[in-house]
Amino acid sequence: MREAIVIARHHLKRMVRTPGLILLLLAIPITIAVIEYAAFGGTAARGKLPPVKVLILDEDKTIASSAVPQVFAGGPMREFFEVAAVESLPAASRMFQRGDASAVVRVPKGFQGALLEGSDVAVELYKNPTQTFSPDIVESVLEMVTTIANGLYARAKEPIARIKALTDADREPTTADIAEISVGFFLAGRRLGRLEGLEDLSVEVQRPGGEKSEGAMRGPKPSEFFGTIFPGLVIFALLFISQALAFRLLRDRVRGLQRRLAITPVARGSVVAGGILYILVGLLALLVVLGLIGSLVFRIELREPLALLVLGLGLVAFAAGLQLAIVAVAKDDRGAGAVSSIVVMVLSVLGGTFVPAEQYPPFLKSVAISLPNGAAQQGLVDVLVHKRGLVDLGAFAVTVWLWALAALAAATWIERRRLVR
Amino acid sequence: MYSKTSGRGRVLERLGLDAGTAGAYGHANPRGANPVASTAIEVSNLRKKFGDLEALRGISFAVKAGEIYGLLGPNGAGKSTTIGVLCGLVIPDAGTARLNGLDVVQNAVEARRSLGVVPQEVALYTELSARDNLTFFGRLYGLGGRDLSKRVDDALALVSLSGRAKEPIERYSGGMLRRLNIAAGVLHGPSVILLDEPTVGLDPQTRASILDLVRAIAAGGAAVVYTTHYLDEAERLCQRVGIIDHGAILAEGTLAELRRAAGEREIVALRGIFRPDQVPAAFARAEDVQIIKANEEELLLSLRSAERQLSSLLSLAAGVGEIREVAVKQPSLENLFIKLTGRELRE
Repeated sequence: MREAIVIARHHLKRMVRTPGLILLLLAIPITIAVIEYAAFGGTAARGKLPPVKVLILDEDKTIASSAVPQVFAGGPMREFFEVAAVESLPAASRMFQRGDASAVVRVPKGFQGALLEGSDVAVELYKNPTQTFSPDIVESVLEMVTTIANGLYARAKEPIARIKALTDADREPTTADIAEISVGFFLAGRRLGRLEGLEDLSVEVQRPGGEKSEGAMRGPKPSEFFGTIFPGLVIFALLFISQALAFRLLRDRVRGLQRRLAITPVARGSVVAGGILYILVGLLALLVVLGLIGSLVFRIELREPLALLVLGLGLVAFAAGLQLAIVAVAKDDRGAGAVSSIVVMVLSVLGGTFVPAEQYPPFLKSVAISLPNGAAQQGLVDVLVHKRGLVDLGAFAVTVWLWALAALAAATWIERRRLVR
Repeated sequence: MYSKTSGRGRVLERLGLDAGTAGAYGHANPRGANPVASTAIEVSNLRKKFGDLEALRGISFAVKAGEIYGLLGPNGAGKSTTIGVLCGLVIPDAGTARLNGLDVVQNAVEARRSLGVVPQEVALYTELSARDNLTFFGRLYGLGGRDLSKRVDDALALVSLSGRAKEPIERYSGGMLRRLNIAAGVLHGPSVILLDEPTVGLDPQTRASILDLVRAIAAGGAAVVYTTHYLDEAERLCQRVGIIDHGAILAEGTLAELRRAAGEREIVALRGIFRPDQVPAAFARAEDVQIIKANEEELLLSLRSAERQLSSLLSLAAGVGEIREVAVKQPSLENLFIKLTGRELRE
C-alpha cells in the first residue's frame, strides 16, 4: 500500500505541475452553467418566461384596428408578450433579422369597415423565419382569439348594426345609443358562453424533479436552477477530466515509464493500485473544487454531506475505472481518445446531461437512471434541490456503485494482465 | 581506470556499487540472497513462445559480480525477451533465471530489489526535475529520508548533472537524458545492472562518457549485462560476449576466445546480382574459401587472405553473376557474427 501511495502522490504532483488541460476541463461546467443561467436562469428565477415580441402594422388606424394589439397586451397576456407598432413590412423584416421581434400582425386598411359591413376580412400574420417557438406561440394565441372573436361577432350583429348606422349617419352617439350598444355586446357575450372559460384559464409549471411547484407561474430560485443543471455538467466534466488523467498513464506506458515502474521491487498490484488511487484522489479533489464553486458562485446549498460523498465517490470510482480500462486495452492515445470520447458522449446524452431525463420517454428515462452518470445526476439533483437524504437515494447509490466496482475490477484485471507477458 | 579514491570511485562507493560491498549493501541486498555468491546472474535453458513465434530456444548464460557481459544480436534475436525475463516482465515457458540466487519468477519482488535496469528509451518524467525523478524512483526501492537525499546527490554527481538537478528535464540534451536514465537505474546500488542499448543515437563523445560510466559501475562490483548493436562497444567494454540470434546463443566467451573462434580469416562481401544455385560449383575449385551465405543479391565468403585471393575470387564470382560492390572485413567480432548468423548485426 505504501508503494501505491508513493506512485499516486507522484502522479498527483505531476498533475499539479502541469495543470493546463485539467483547468480547461474544469472550466467547462462552470462556463456552461453561466451561459445557461444567462439564457434562461434570470427570467426563470423571476417567474417569467422571456416575453415574445409582437409587432402590429396598423394600416386601418381605426377604433376597431386599435383593439387588435389588446389581443397580446390586455389582461394576463401582457405577462408573455411585448407589443410594438411598426411602420411597414420592410421595417418589420429588418427587426426579424436582428432577432428583435417574433412576428408581425398586419391589420389591413378597411378592417373596421368590413367588420361593420359584415363582410369577410383577415388580419395577416408574418412569422420570423429565424425563430422556432415564439412565432408559433403568437400564431396559436391569435388563432384562439380569432375563434372567440368570430363567435362574439356572430352573436353581436345587432349592436354592430347600431354602430354602422351611427357611422353612416355621421353623427355623435347619444347616451341612449351607447347604453343600447353596450347592453347588446353584453348580451352577445353571455350568449357566447365560452368566453366564461377564459376566467378558469391557468397554467401549471412542472418542476424538473417531477413535482408540482408551490405556486403557479413561480420559477425556480437561482440556487435551484443551478442545483438542477450543475450536477449533470459536473459529471460530464469529470468524465472528461478522468480521461485526461488516465491518458497521462497511457503516455507513460508509450514512453516506457510504466515498464520502468514494473521492474522496480513493487508488486504489480501496487503499481495498478497507484494508478487507480491517483485518478480517484485527483478526481475527488476536483469534484470538491467544483462543489465549492457551485456553493460559492451559484449558491447551491450543499446539504446531506454523507449522501453527496457516497454519490461523489461512486461516480469518481466509476470514471477512474472506465478510463483506466479503456487506456489498458488501447494501443495509443488516438485510439483511446476516440473510444473514450464516444463512450462519454453516449453516456452523457443517454444519462440526461444535456436534456433532463424527466423529459425523456419512459423507456429512455429508465435507461438514463440505470446508467452510472444518470443515476448519480438524478441522485445529486434529489439531494441538492429536493432535499432528499441518503436513505431516499438507495437505488441511485447502488446503481452508481455497482457500475463503479465493475469498472474498477475490469481495469485492474486488464492492467495486471498487460503488465506481465 | 577508476579507483576507489577517485571522485567517481567515491561516489560509486557511496551508492553501494563498490566492489567490496556489492550484493551486501543496504537496499541492494535481497533477503535470502547469498552475499558472497560470485555468480550474480544465472540463466538456464530459457524458453518462451509468443503464439507460433519461438522467441527463446534454450538460452543459458551466467554473469559474475564485477563482470560486463555483452549480449549481441540483431532485432528480433531474443535480447529484449531475455532482458524481459530477468526483469520479471516476461514469464518463461521453461527454464530458470536467477539474480543473486533468487528466482525471478518465484521471488519476483525480492529478486528485483537487487536489479537495476537502464532501458533503451529514456523512461523519465520530463515535466519533473532530475532530482524529483531520482527521488521518486528511490522511494520505489524503499529509500527515504536523508539516505535517499544523499543517494540522489551522489547519483547526480556520478552522471555530472548536479548543477542542473532542479531544472525540468525537458530542457536537457539527449546525452544528459541518457546519463540521467542511467542514474535512475543505479541509484539504489543494485548488484545486477541490465543496460539495454544505452548509447543508441548518441554522438561519439557522449557514447565514450557513458562507456566510462558503465566501466566504473562494473568496477564497483556490479554484474552488468550490456546489449548493443555496436560491436565496437562490445569489443571495448565487455569481458565476455554472447552472440544471440533466433532465440539461441550461438557463441559465447571472452573476446579472445571469440576472436579465436572467428579465426584469422577475413570475410569478403560481394553485392550485385547472382545465380545462387551455381555458386557452390563455381567456388568448389577455389582454395580454402568457405561460402557463408549466397543469395541473389549477396555472397558472403570466408577466406584466409583477401590480399592474395581476391582477384581469383572475383573472377569466379563474375562467372555466376554481376558484381556491383566489394567489401573486405578484417578479422573481428563482426566477422564471427556474420559467420555464425549469415547476416550483419544491423540487418
